[in-house]
Amino acid sequence: MRINPDILPDLLAALNDNQQQINDDLEQISSGRSVNQPSDNPAAAAALVVNADQTSQANQFLSSISTVSGELQSADSTLNSVTTALQQAISLGVEGANGTLNASDQQALAVQVQGIQSQLVNLANLAYQGNYVFAGTATSTPPYVLDSTSSSGVTYQGNSGVNSITIGNQYTVQTNLPGSQLFSSSSNNVFQAIQDLITGLQSGNATAISTAVGELTNASNYIDQQRVFYGNTISQLNAQTTYLNSETTQLSQQQNTLGAANMPAVISNLESAQVSRQATLESMSNTLQNNLFNYLR
Amino acid sequence: MSSLNASLATALSGLTADQDALAATSNNVANANTPGYSREVPVLVTGNPIIEDPLTFGSGVSVQSIESIRDPILESQIAQETQTQGQLNSLVSALSETQVNFTSSSGDIGTDITNFFSSVNQLSTNPSDLSLRQGVLTAADNLATAFNTTANNLTSQVTSLNQNVTQTVGQINQLTTQIAQLNGQIANLENVGESAGSFIDQRTQAIDQLSSLVDVSQIQSGNNELTLTTAAGTALVAGQQSFQLTTQPVASGAEDIFSQGTDITSTIASGQLGGILEARDQQIPAIQNQLDTLAAGLANSVNGVQTAGYDLNGNLGTDLFTPPPTSITGAAASLSVAITDPSLIAASSDGTVGSNGNADAMYALSSQNIVDGQTPNTYYSSIVFNVGNAVSNATASQTASGLVLQQLNDQNSAVSGVSLDEEAANMIQYQQAYAASAQVVTAINDMMYDVINMNTLTT
Repeated sequence: MRINPDILPDLLAALNDNQQQINDDLEQISSGRSVNQPSDNPAAAAALVVNADQTSQANQFLSSISTVSGELQSADSTLNSVTTALQQAISLGVEGANGTLNASDQQALAVQVQGIQSQLVNLANLAYQGNYVFAGTATSTPPYVLDSTSSSGVTYQGNSGVNSITIGNQYTVQTNLPGSQLFSSSSNNVFQAIQDLITGLQSGNATAISTAVGELTNASNYIDQQRVFYGNTISQLNAQTTYLNSETTQLSQQQNTLGAANMPAVISNLESAQVSRQATLESMSNTLQNNLFNYLR
Repeated sequence: MSSLNASLATALSGLTADQDALAATSNNVANANTPGYSREVPVLVTGNPIIEDPLTFGSGVSVQSIESIRDPILESQIAQETQTQGQLNSLVSALSETQVNFTSSSGDIGTDITNFFSSVNQLSTNPSDLSLRQGVLTAADNLATAFNTTANNLTSQVTSLNQNVTQTVGQINQLTTQIAQLNGQIANLENVGESAGSFIDQRTQAIDQLSSLVDVSQIQSGNNELTLTTAAGTALVAGQQSFQLTTQPVASGAEDIFSQGTDITSTIASGQLGGILEARDQQIPAIQNQLDTLAAGLANSVNGVQTAGYDLNGNLGTDLFTPPPTSITGAAASLSVAITDPSLIAASSDGTVGSNGNADAMYALSSQNIVDGQTPNTYYSSIVFNVGNAVSNATASQTASGLVLQQLNDQNSAVSGVSLDEEAANMIQYQQAYAASAQVVTAINDMMYDVINMNTLTT
């Protein structure tokens, strides 16, 4: 049987394949990735798109959590100050209810409690990054102003709106409590209790003072109960932060599995491709010049 | 009884035949590297015997013809596989260019979808913050730009494919003209009983080139003339006449291919032209459609949420993206952000500045099946998969077809290729035979001399 006398095209094709292999290996080595374009591995490329999205989302959740954490911490510690102020008011009330005090002493106590009243208004008007934290969603106006025409001594300018933010896949948390629920609810109105104490001290009415002290005690307990919301939310955020951090680690492992070049394998491929290229070139230069014509004399 | 003259004629026929045979060898060696050349072999036949009862004498040798050695079946298989190879080459090259748009980078659509939703999530942490609102607008702008850029790249790719169609049709016309001429030259030679080997080689070569451009089927007719049609039957060459193809833009803006007034675009399946048409009329439009679906689904859903909420001024929100066309065609190319004032982003669900309910609802779209039953990013990832898969499949077929073609070419070269070893051996053979015949002539010459001088010798 006659054999193909011209092996050059086959050898060139082999060299071409060889060069392609070397180029691919070099691309993987220089980029560190085995999937450099979708056709390298379509399924992995698609999975990498989803992986990149999930990684960015997880990082975004972490960023959002860190933003709202500040606000929640600040609200929580403010409520702590509110409780302290209420305790002061309670002890002033207890002192005022003591029958040994004269009218001017009681007036002096009333002035002190008025100071606590303004302090509470200040605390309830806490602003974080320019937003009033306890104003519901009407965050651009201070929620409480002193108002002598109001029975509670203040007017609430906020609303009862609450916000939630998404911090995980289908996972949202509420991030605020409105002042109308915290400080001026119908059953436990902090400002009403303070105003009642001031009125009682001013009028020297021991019964009224005692009633007001009772109201204040209830209000203080109520604030403590409400603080649990902030504590819970903060610990939820912390737990979610831990989860998201481990998720990003997993995602980055997955990204490596999907798209990172297997360096030892790639380098050994490259070496064998180079060796085979070398061998092809050498045998080409040795054999191609040989035919019968070279031997005719 | 044979005469000396008859022997001289016989020896002379050997000299001539060996010279002719050597001419064939010489031509083979000269054309050893000529593409498409088929080796030539002298067909030696012995002369008619001369009967002089009771003896029969041979009358030497003659070269009946110089025959080109070829296997027409192999050649037509090569032409066939060349069509497939041509189609896959142009398809792979077009799709590889398309694929660049979907290679992950900082500016790809997937990243920009993610960034847009991230900016919305960030806004929900402080809905009245103007810089966060600006962040959403910027991210929306980037997203629209990414869609525009990709859509425009695909459109300009289609434009350049249209130019390729025109160029390829030009090449096809040139080749069919050439083949028709060669048909004429071959017929002329064959009509007078000459071998048309080298013209057939040229024609085979031209048909191979034509096959790499368009699907060709061959019908052999008398006088070794070929009739060529496309696989669907459009005439390209009939004997000595070629039929020119023309291109003409149609309503869609695409350059369609016409043969004698009929639009044959959809009937062309392989060859480079088939590959270009597949990329231009099927693969790229499918990707464009998916991009439009994604852009429209995203824009409509975002607008739906945006118009249900309230902006920073307490007014009902207006569209964030200019509404995509209802037919969705061109949605990706025309996607743009409709508002420039960051306060117009409707983050609030109740009209108060601090409410983030609507921003959170907008963020929730990122995990809702708002694009053809999938989330925006999953849908995008499926586009990436489709594009990658198309390139990968076409490349695999291209490699396989390349191997088949290489195999066929090897087989064909085994039949028709020039082997220098063989030619050297033939050359020695003919040279030696020539020398032997010349010796015979010398011997007869001596014998003639003896005969002529017979009288002189006896005296």
